[in-house]
Amino acid sequence: MTTAEPTVTVPVAPEAARWRPDTRGWGVRVAAIAVLVGIVSWRLATLEGLWADHISQAVIFAIIGLSLNVILGYTGQVSLGHHAFVGLAAFVAAQHVTERAGCLPEEGCTAAPAGAFAVAVALAILSGIIASGLLGIVALRIKGLYLALITLTYGFVAVNSIFEIPSLTRGGAGMPAPRPEVFLTDHRYMVFCIAALGVCLFIDWRFLASRIGRAVLAIKNSEPVAASYAVNVTAYKLMAFMLSGAFAGLAGALFAYRRQIVVANDFRFESALLWVLMVVVGGLGKRAGVVIGSMFFALFPYLIDLATPLSDLLSKLDRDPEEFTLLIGPGLALLTMIKFPGGIAEQIRPLTNWFAGNRFTMHPDGKSRHKAGLLSRVRGNSTPPPEEST
Amino acid sequence: MRTPHVSIVLAVLLALGLFFGNNVENGPNAFITLGVMNGAVYGLVALGIVLVYKGTRVFNFAQGEFGTIGAYFLFMCLSSGLPFWLGVIIAIAGTLVLGLALERVVIRPLIDAPRINVLVATIAITLALIGLEILIFRIEPQSLRPLMPALDAAGNPAGITIFELTIEPQRLIALGVFAALGGLLAWFFSRTDLGLAVLATSQDSFATKVVGIGVPRMSRFIWGVSAVLGAVAGILYIPLTGTLIPAVMTSNILIPAFAAAVIGGMTSLPGAFIGGIVIGVVQSVGGWAGGHFTIGDKTLNLVVFGVEHVMIFVVLLVVLLARPQGLLGKEA
Repeated sequence: MTTAEPTVTVPVAPEAARWRPDTRGWGVRVAAIAVLVGIVSWRLATLEGLWADHISQAVIFAIIGLSLNVILGYTGQVSLGHHAFVGLAAFVAAQHVTERAGCLPEEGCTAAPAGAFAVAVALAILSGIIASGLLGIVALRIKGLYLALITLTYGFVAVNSIFEIPSLTRGGAGMPAPRPEVFLTDHRYMVFCIAALGVCLFIDWRFLASRIGRAVLAIKNSEPVAASYAVNVTAYKLMAFMLSGAFAGLAGALFAYRRQIVVANDFRFESALLWVLMVVVGGLGKRAGVVIGSMFFALFPYLIDLATPLSDLLSKLDRDPEEFTLLIGPGLALLTMIKFPGGIAEQIRPLTNWFAGNRFTMHPDGKSRHKAGLLSRVRGNSTPPPEEST
Repeated sequence: MRTPHVSIVLAVLLALGLFFGNNVENGPNAFITLGVMNGAVYGLVALGIVLVYKGTRVFNFAQGEFGTIGAYFLFMCLSSGLPFWLGVIIAIAGTLVLGLALERVVIRPLIDAPRINVLVATIAITLALIGLEILIFRIEPQSLRPLMPALDAAGNPAGITIFELTIEPQRLIALGVFAALGGLLAWFFSRTDLGLAVLATSQDSFATKVVGIGVPRMSRFIWGVSAVLGAVAGILYIPLTGTLIPAVMTSNILIPAFAAAVIGGMTSLPGAFIGGIVIGVVQSVGGWAGGHFTIGDKTLNLVVFGVEHVMIFVVLLVVLLARPQGLLGKEA
């Protein structure tokens, strides 16, 4: 005996079409980007030597930031030993040009052969990949706080053991790293660094959009869930680790040729910890924020110098602006974590959101977040979620 | 009870090492003794780390820097002409105040944040403290007077001699203080209501709130005690190396101390004690073996630089991979 079930048609709310700007809206956005890029490149093109060098340093910091962002932001682990990767790569790059390609400054060699330079950069990247890969193979089964501890210890060992090998580092005197003819001026070198940052940003973007990137994010969200969907947790984490190592290696090579000499003392644990903080300040997992945050960390001693009353006060006190790095950086990081989670990326989100073709709003997540929980955040636009049908 | 078993096995191993080392010329005996003495300082810092982990489930990277700050407080007091005992009291009190202030300003707002955030926060604290030291005292090595002079009135080395190594009184004091504090804390956690409340908070802060234990009070207590432990470690350790420069405790002691805490199981106070000694001995004997490693009658050149540091990494890795709960670890 069957009774006919009354057929109930559940009204399905039509999927809210994503708001897109019209032609004029796109025009304004493209024009704004063009003006921004124009101003920045005009400023960069007319920079004098010293500031070109500062910008190179900032760009190198940005690459280091991206490298750490892969681990901190995408896999959700903490690496406190990045000074080991960057330092090792810097020494490898310098050693290849001087010891193996035979461009010794003490014998009057001022510019490295371009071929040797290219090989040195490639070797540095490779050393970064190998170092992080080896560490990853051994240590990635360890998670969270303990992994942070292992990476810290790894950095400690690198500083006290690897950086002591005289044939690699020439002891405390440092290993010279002459630049090739093309990049001999600071200005040209800056352009090279910016190009390298561009490549890193592109790779990072494609990485996150790929299968591997999605897997890594899934693992960050929940390792057991990801594993139950047959995601090979260790392998994907290892890939993220190696990408991070590759960026760190590139940054190390750039680091070496910026100062044209590599000294073990440049890579102390303080720098690795500061790099972690700059990524936190920039905003974990957010490319633009990380780049801005890292550049700020590299540049603010020089920015203090620009502010004349401030630098006058400091010189009266017989203080160097760089001495404040270890005070202002951590201070900003604490402020970020306690008051502004999300960092710089969160603060500039109204802008980045607008550039990405959404309505301009000061609260990209919208008030609806409180009503509808996470659902409304999927797209990050201000469309209210479909009403619950009864 | 596994604690006595592990302790007995380690003691027997140590005794065997000392016994066989006795017949070797330039043997490892002096190094083992030195290792035990260094281990006392590692263990003292490890106690603070374990305490914070037990109480709040946080890795406290600032533990080493509490020591440097304490030593700097003492240094300031001594250079302004205060008597030594008053300096020690002021140093400990000053570090205590600092620890409480940091807990209030930094740790309390993050009490419900993911643990990895709190870890990064303690890193920020460490760097900020280092920055402060650099700003105030510059990167200039200072010296700090030991509790008891290393030379007696006649100018001879004081202290006792074990295996051709004279142990300075300061090291003996460090070992004694370390053992006493370790015992005191172990008693505190297992026998007092407050200790039990602290443990309960770390396991389920909501449930403890329900039964009427103030979570902020526990957090304040933990950070205060760990700051005091840090200051004591700094005051005892700095005179042994002779130099007081910014970041000295973080760069020299923090990592061995963490390794000691992990070996002990992160939550075990006797474990931190044993771990400290183990790390000290491993480091010291590793350094000795690296310099004396022989096969047949050919002396191998020292291939690996900084063997004693590599040893820490290897020990830590092996413990974490093979026995993540450490020697004596258990939940709370």
